[in-house]
Amino acid sequence: MHGIDNQLRDLLPRLRRFAQSLTRHPASADDLVQASLEKALGAWASKQPDGDLRAWLFAILYRQFLDTQRSASRYRRLLTLFGGGQDDHHVPSAERTVVAQTTLAAFERLPHEQRAILLWVTVEGLRYQEIADILGVPIGTVMSRLSRARQALRQLSEGEITTPSLRVLK
Amino acid sequence: MITLPPSDQDLHAYVDGHLNEADREQLQLYLAAHPAIAAKVQAWQQDAQHLRAALSGALHVVPNPQLDPTAIRHNLRRQRRRHFATAALLLIAVSVGGVGGWQARTLNFASHMLPMADAVQAYRMFAVKDGMASDWTASTSNDPQRWLDQHFARADRIPDLADAGFKPVGGRMISTEQGAAAMLVYEDGSGRKASFYIRPPGPQHYLLARGARRDGELQADYWSSDEYNYALVTQADDEAAKRVRSALGRSI
Repeated sequence: MHGIDNQLRDLLPRLRRFAQSLTRHPASADDLVQASLEKALGAWASKQPDGDLRAWLFAILYRQFLDTQRSASRYRRLLTLFGGGQDDHHVPSAERTVVAQTTLAAFERLPHEQRAILLWVTVEGLRYQEIADILGVPIGTVMSRLSRARQALRQLSEGEITTPSLRVLK
Repeated sequence: MITLPPSDQDLHAYVDGHLNEADREQLQLYLAAHPAIAAKVQAWQQDAQHLRAALSGALHVVPNPQLDPTAIRHNLRRQRRRHFATAALLLIAVSVGGVGGWQARTLNFASHMLPMADAVQAYRMFAVKDGMASDWTASTSNDPQRWLDQHFARADRIPDLADAGFKPVGGRMISTEQGAAAMLVYEDGSGRKASFYIRPPGPQHYLLARGARRDGELQADYWSSDEYNYALVTQADDEAAKRVRSALGRSI
């Protein structure tokens, strides 16, 4: 009855992995996937992807993530205004600090845009043009962002940059 | 076709396997002669491999049934129904309140006088008409209880009148002075109607002892739970309606 359901099921692990790499938090990752699938299935009847289903879903998920980021930052500002609102969500945990030299730990410290590009290019093997379509930017912009992301990953892996959020271990 | 020296873009395309064979071979020759650039490219390749390896585990997480497309569709339908019900309730509140204002005025007036007179009035206004504009019909869903529960959080179970041959066929929301009310219309094989009516007891919390009264050709049997007032309205002298009333006695 629903032709795409099986395709969606096959793509679920990839969507969850991408969401996890964006949110760095399993529960919010699944919330993000759920919200994105609702969008995708709600839109499916009227608007179906021209090309790769996977790239289309990545695009929906990424936009959904940016939307939640924006409202979350509004909320944080509001909390700060009322005197509270410590957000330690994005501060690396102690374990992460221990393995800070590894590629994964370096990856997790990149800004989300660079994480998305690196995951799409190196892990998912999307073509540059597909990424340009997802982000709605020219392919040249994708290339320069990719270049910056690779350099940043390199530097973080080699421990050249120590961010202030890195905690001292006891 | 790439040109040498290679651009940054060509190096990335090489790492990501997006070059054709001829370009790849040409670039490999170039890298063999330029160790500094080769080292940079190799580091990128290694990073990519590490990242692929590190993230491959994330593909094997425990399945989350809530993310299954079937569950998502189910959720979407439920949200749509809820929106639709809210919209329908608003529309009816407005149209009954506006267009039927005069009738509603008498209806509310009467309700002060006689227990559940509004139920009888609603029966006359809506139930006897075929093709009543409905918020619930048996053709769209087979679960009137669920429809009712959406609007009345702690409603009693709807009476089962199947023994008397009556089945729910349609329901609609009605606005009254005491709050939103709902009427569920039952019908039997020969088109006889009966209606089950529910509404809040109003601000004075006016609950009813179980009773019955005749109003013209109709009879209203009424009772209350802790939360709501109920009435069953039937044709007073009809044999089938008597069976309905005795089925009601067993059902509530």
